[in-house]
Amino acid sequence: MMTQITITKRDGNKEPFNADKINRSIERACIGLTDPISMVTQIATETQLTLYDGITTEEMDMATINAAVQNIKEDIEYDKVGVRLLLKTVYRRVVGEFHDDPAELDAKHRAQFPVHIKNMVQSGLLDVRMQEKYDLEKLAAALKIERDELFTYAGVSTLLDRYSMRNEAQKRIETPQYFFMRIAMGLSYNEANPTEQAIKFYDRMSQLLYIAGGSTNLGAGTSRPALSNCFLLEVHDDMDHIAKSVADVLKISKASGGLGVSLTKLRATGSTLKASNTVSSGPTPFAKIMDTAVHAIVRGGKKKGALCFYMENWHYDFPEYIDWKHNAGDDYMRMRTANTATWISDEFMKRVEAGDEWYLFDPKEVMDLNELYGQAFSKRYAEYIEKAKAGQMKMWKKMPATELWSNMLTALQSTSHPWLTWKDSINLRALNNNTGTIHMSNLCTEICLPQDKDNIAVCNLISLNLAGHIEGKQVNWYKLEETVRLAVRQLDNLIDINVLPIEEARRSDSENRAIGLGVMGFADALEQLGIPYESGHGAEFADRIFEFISYMAIDESANLAKVRGSYKHFVGSGWSEGLVPVDTIARVEAERGFLTGLKKDTRNKQLNWDALRAKVKGGMRNATLMAVAPNANIGLVAGTTPGIDPRFAQVFSRNKFSGKYMDINHNLVKDLKNMGLWDEVKEKIVEQQGDISAINEIPSYLKQIYKTSFTTSPYAFIEVAARAQKWVDQALSRNIYLENRDMDAMKQVYMAAWKRGLKTTYYLHMKPRHSAEQSTTHVNKGAQFAKRGFAGVVASPISTEAPTLSPIQQSPVTVHETMPLTPNSAPAVEVVMPVETSRGFAPAAAQGALPIQPAMQQSLPGEMTASPISRDLPVQDVVKPVVAVAPIAVAPLQTPSYQPIQAVAPAQMASAPSRMGFATVVSSAPIQMPAASTVPTPAPIVIKKEKAFVCPIDPAERAQCDSCQ
Amino acid sequence: MLVGKASPDDMNLHPIRYQWAYDLYQQAVRNTWFPHEIALKEDLGDWANMTDDERHAVKFLMAFFNPAELIVNRSIALGIYPYLKSPECHLYLAKQMWEEANHCVAFEYVLQTFPFDRTEVFGIHLQTPSMLAKEAYINRYMKRMMEDSLDVETPEGKKDFLRNLVATNIVMEGIWFYSGFMVALSFRQRNQLRNLGSMINWVIRDESLHLKFGINLIHNILEENAELVDASFAQEIAGIIVEGVNLETAYNQDLFPRGILGLNADYVNQYVQYVADRRLEELGLGKHYNVTNPAKWMSTATDVFELVNFFEAQNTSYEVDSGSKHK
Repeated sequence: MMTQITITKRDGNKEPFNADKINRSIERACIGLTDPISMVTQIATETQLTLYDGITTEEMDMATINAAVQNIKEDIEYDKVGVRLLLKTVYRRVVGEFHDDPAELDAKHRAQFPVHIKNMVQSGLLDVRMQEKYDLEKLAAALKIERDELFTYAGVSTLLDRYSMRNEAQKRIETPQYFFMRIAMGLSYNEANPTEQAIKFYDRMSQLLYIAGGSTNLGAGTSRPALSNCFLLEVHDDMDHIAKSVADVLKISKASGGLGVSLTKLRATGSTLKASNTVSSGPTPFAKIMDTAVHAIVRGGKKKGALCFYMENWHYDFPEYIDWKHNAGDDYMRMRTANTATWISDEFMKRVEAGDEWYLFDPKEVMDLNELYGQAFSKRYAEYIEKAKAGQMKMWKKMPATELWSNMLTALQSTSHPWLTWKDSINLRALNNNTGTIHMSNLCTEICLPQDKDNIAVCNLISLNLAGHIEGKQVNWYKLEETVRLAVRQLDNLIDINVLPIEEARRSDSENRAIGLGVMGFADALEQLGIPYESGHGAEFADRIFEFISYMAIDESANLAKVRGSYKHFVGSGWSEGLVPVDTIARVEAERGFLTGLKKDTRNKQLNWDALRAKVKGGMRNATLMAVAPNANIGLVAGTTPGIDPRFAQVFSRNKFSGKYMDINHNLVKDLKNMGLWDEVKEKIVEQQGDISAINEIPSYLKQIYKTSFTTSPYAFIEVAARAQKWVDQALSRNIYLENRDMDAMKQVYMAAWKRGLKTTYYLHMKPRHSAEQSTTHVNKGAQFAKRGFAGVVASPISTEAPTLSPIQQSPVTVHETMPLTPNSAPAVEVVMPVETSRGFAPAAAQGALPIQPAMQQSLPGEMTASPISRDLPVQDVVKPVVAVAPIAVAPLQTPSYQPIQAVAPAQMASAPSRMGFATVVSSAPIQMPAASTVPTPAPIVIKKEKAFVCPIDPAERAQCDSCQ
Repeated sequence: MLVGKASPDDMNLHPIRYQWAYDLYQQAVRNTWFPHEIALKEDLGDWANMTDDERHAVKFLMAFFNPAELIVNRSIALGIYPYLKSPECHLYLAKQMWEEANHCVAFEYVLQTFPFDRTEVFGIHLQTPSMLAKEAYINRYMKRMMEDSLDVETPEGKKDFLRNLVATNIVMEGIWFYSGFMVALSFRQRNQLRNLGSMINWVIRDESLHLKFGINLIHNILEENAELVDASFAQEIAGIIVEGVNLETAYNQDLFPRGILGLNADYVNQYVQYVADRRLEELGLGKHYNVTNPAKWMSTATDVFELVNFFEAQNTSYEVDSGSKHK
């Protein structure tokens, strides 16, 4: 069937399909992999399956890549093949033909670089400084094309699709290494030695040790360098400012920024308008205009306009605001594109706890509430309540605080909005709000910057890849320090190069020099160290790592201030008082009247915070330093877990602008391969949708390390964020994942997040209860229902027709014989190992150099054995109001028992003895039992709740933990 | 009893006898979605860049799906709903019928958004013999259900009921639709028609539930009416399914007169056989084709949980109810 196929070449000519040519090309992409012959056969066969007559050469390339990529769940080495095949198409376009010779490619890749830069400058795409400031030959010599091997398929595909520059014909004209060099150069113009500095930045990025934020990746080095990711603007209660804000939203979206927009100040529906003696239609219609505005901008064709509204929950229209993301209802009252978040006060949380009433007001009458926080807010709020009761307010209403809380969380569960953020921990802990109150966070809830009518807050982002700093099961602290310092310098450089579309944003950017260094690959790093995310040790690791990064970032900013000067508003800031982020926790506790339970001392003995406090007092280059973004894209580029997120599942798909990708946990696959388990369990992992907890073959200690986000306790998410938040001056995009839909349990989770001092939470992912029927796994719903249908009366396939040969079987593929052969597999050796008592990574850890001990290795010294909550929240000390405020009785954190998923394995159901259906009619059947019923009943998979071998977070479980007693 | 003439107690939901049907109803309600949640217009850029063969495939799919959803509804209304006694099943089917209507409107939304000649698209199913044959096949079983001579209390009447149920639920929804979904999702896999892909994800989520209901219903009816289960009826049911596969094979030649990137008629037909084998097995009938699944990429498309970056695509895993105490 394949014989008549012709290929349409790039020049339009046709040539007969040549299987040998394809095979050779795939072979070269398989060099150095474990089992190249079978991989080539597989890919070539599956490529041919999809061919058709007249297919173009480009489509052939894609067909081959797709054939490789669809096998990733079988073996992660197919990922490597996909990367190489994809890159080859890019190399060929950028440097021309290289005859599959790596040396020739490397030489041409270097030789082309200066030409490439000069061409791009000439065509106006790149800034002239890209040519004038640099020794292009020297930069070309620094390029390391071999680092392209670090990419995953999803990573390189995302990088090329989203960030790589295109020419007029929309063809990508940057290889990944050219891309990294462009960013490095684009942020080094003002350095004393731009070439040397660019090489340093390049060196970090090309090893995927840090990746710049999306806007920087798109704009650096270009003639339109709009490099900031985050903008936070406040809409004021007058028509001119609303109109200006709509225009600002359009301009910022076009320049590829994500927006936070606070609407708290807009007067309520029904509030009177002086000019016309009519009444206001409230914030919703104006928000709808902005929602439509961001929708209108498909940024550079690469990113949807993105915006998050913020509103305080005392706003009279807040109950309507909660419903903005519902899928039914009047479309004019629904935001289809924008997101929503709520800006919550401690006063509200306390009223929820106490079961008090909550009053809603028209902002027009209570304008100062939006500027106040902490006790000052509570005091003023109480005064307004008194006024309302005395009949001195025009518009107000009240409801039980618990009812509003319920409504907020119900909406959160069904629409994932509004996200919960806490204004008081943000403002009370801020070191940068000497210029004004912080009224909102941003699109991803990690930015905490003040804004007013003259200032649109701006933040610039980089995220470092923690997993890239784990070497031989250790954190390479020296390397991490260098990464942090270079990242801070690169971010600071950005601000002087940045070109922003709006004066208020430009002002805020240049006067505050706010930057946000983030961290990605946290869960990936834990996996490599063998530490469960859901453990005291995981939280301890977060504490220690974030302290170290924070210290180095602050130190670097203070260093830069010495050379380059402090930012304009430094005087009066918390920094100028010698405060560092961890010092601000006490202020929150004082104003709230109860403790967060977080410890304030150092976890890293080598860090001298007192010395740093003194240094900080002398000057800081940047108003803010850290913010942990969600990294949905750059985490993918770096091939690691985004932000501080847990592993979503061991296998899952990502629905991205640049494609739909299978994501499989390489750490787990490697561990399972080492144990010889991979082939046995790989299909089960997909069947179980990436949850390994019910797969008997996998040892239990791996199940502790490789949990999914839905089987991880939500209290672990809170604890990791709380520990990191101690050291992070802005905030963290803390995604929450819940399997359990119980409202009371959910309320406790969010209440605990607030008490533990989290500033913000982000997206809430609920585990779907029902998903589509799987396609590639074995599915038998009849068996799942324990039914046999016609099985008792059917002997053999119904007709005598020979089974149809699949096209795969019809077209065998010959594999070229010059394949580099790997040695024949060694004779099987049976290794007897005590599976359940395995010490995991203990042998490596026992080398003694591991700074953070894997959880399962040994009990940790004194303090560390205790679970984080019990240690950090001493029960006796909790109710100790530090300032004169009505003491609020606070019980120690109630962390309700978390129920792990009790998966019911299909096999278990199938083997249920009841309801055998047609077994009774078997005797009447003239024929033997079909395969389905002759196969012995599979052993039921019994799911045992494994006893945790690390100290659990949950107090109920802790009571049963030996080492906690 | 599930099948039979309605009696007054059938109007009482409680006590619930068919909990599985009631549970499926609850889940179906949670799965509620609306076409306008999808920003379909954003796919028009892809449409502009598609080849003629690709456009033909999309149009052809729409031409089939749009009337097909209504045909399923007719079959439920005329051939399934009236002969079921269980109020739990009636609840479920009422929701299913709304879903079919919603799918029809969703495809209508596609037809209105894409630059289609709608008269042409609506005409395709009336003019293409392979499509007419599929519709005639469904109508054949449905017609029987409307004849006066049908007595659903008799074994032969119950068999007629099952024949129609198998044709509609197993063949049309469980095989034909699945083949169409795979083709539609293949565009998404190549990063084309992303928003249509999100819509299809929702449709598949619904259809997976329809199929769960249908298969459960068949099994329970067989269990309650053991006298129906014999080798010749089993063979007949298998024959109905195989006939459905043959019709689909002919249709796929018209869907892909030539191939497009990643797909051709042989490939789709192998997938159809793979899915048909699954359906046969689910009814206890044993595989007939013994082929492998050529579309391995479907594991990414449907088999695992999807993580959506909310500002990039519509998250299709949300469910509308919340705050329930149980589960």
